[in-house]
Amino acid sequence: MEPIRPAPKARERGGADLDGLLTLVGRRDQAAFEGLYDRVAAPVFGLIRRVLRDSAQSEEVTQETLLEVWRTADRFDPARGAALAWVMTIAHRRAVDRVRSEAAAARREARATSAAAPVHADEVAEAVESSLEAERVNRCLDGLTELQRESITLAYYGGYSYQQVAAALGVALGTVKTRIRGGLKRLRDCLGVSW
Amino acid sequence: MRLPRIPLPRVRLHRAPHVLAGAYALDALGAAERARFELHLATCRTCPDEVRGFAATAAELGLAVAVTPPLALKGRVLADVAALESARAVDAEIAELLSAPDALVASAATSAGGTATVVASRRAAAMVFTSVGLPALPPASVYELWFIGAGGARPAGLVPTVSPGTRQGTTPVLAAGLSSGDAVGVTVEPAGGSAAPTTSPIVVLTLPA
Repeated sequence: MEPIRPAPKARERGGADLDGLLTLVGRRDQAAFEGLYDRVAAPVFGLIRRVLRDSAQSEEVTQETLLEVWRTADRFDPARGAALAWVMTIAHRRAVDRVRSEAAAARREARATSAAAPVHADEVAEAVESSLEAERVNRCLDGLTELQRESITLAYYGGYSYQQVAAALGVALGTVKTRIRGGLKRLRDCLGVSW
Repeated sequence: MRLPRIPLPRVRLHRAPHVLAGAYALDALGAAERARFELHLATCRTCPDEVRGFAATAAELGLAVAVTPPLALKGRVLADVAALESARAVDAEIAELLSAPDALVASAATSAGGTATVVASRRAAAMVFTSVGLPALPPASVYELWFIGAGGARPAGLVPTVSPGTRQGTTPVLAAGLSSGDAVGVTVEPAGGSAAPTTSPIVVLTLPA
């Protein structure tokens, strides 16, 4: 019988090359930027599209995100976090800013009404591309309590503020804060994230 | 009437910011709370590591929903970056020329209005042209720059469009190919510019010897 191996850590799955590429981008290396694009465009676009639920807007925000990466890459410090997390933080922040801007919110409202379906936490499971990464993440999400999982997915994939999460789930603000933090700790350990 | 002061529980106050680390990492805080948490982060011993771990965890959630964007997006992004980079390179050259040890300055009012200024370096064989208050031209016309030497006038570039109704300066134009003894002239030419001047200069700037 095969022994159960621990999940590979992000750094062991090519994270170190990505750190190197982003460091070169910080020195204005356009070839390195192209290499970085090839590695991060799909996660960046996928995440933004998940939050915005609109392909045209998602392309715009992906473009803005990658230009911000180009402009600010010299601030990336590999000692203080992995390149992928650095890039995804910019992508998520921009997607959330877009969602919360009033005009976009109104458009989204209209779509949500026509679809007559609020964001549902476990849509994550069905829409994810069938990749090893997605399986791994879903396995770890399954290990959370329902409230932890819903709080995290509504906040991260839905772009909800924790107040909106609390309202959507009908629980107290303090409960959402602690469930998000507790759930992230458990996810972090399950995914073997090294930071 | 004033309400009686109720003492706040101190322990909770200390614990409170901490618990927001998760919501912060997921961008689930409003702007004010985000700013307050960042203040806390700067003094908190354990929070930065926790936030980094959460950010890396969130990145994994993002990785799980990866979708390849349309191919055309890559071309647009790379073109944007190339444009940013060449603009930056021109800015750097302009800055270098403006601070060249042999930089010379000539400035004069033009017959059309406004003031034209040239900063030139003979050693770099280049000049930077700027202007303030040049009248806006109809779309069919453009201000063209010339190096004027013994052999006649050689094109030295076009001045970017002046927006009507403003007394703003034009974007600096960097031109290479200055010979010693050249003056710098400006004429009004058909849009796109000419190979040789077709009108009389509105100003000719003579550089100090």
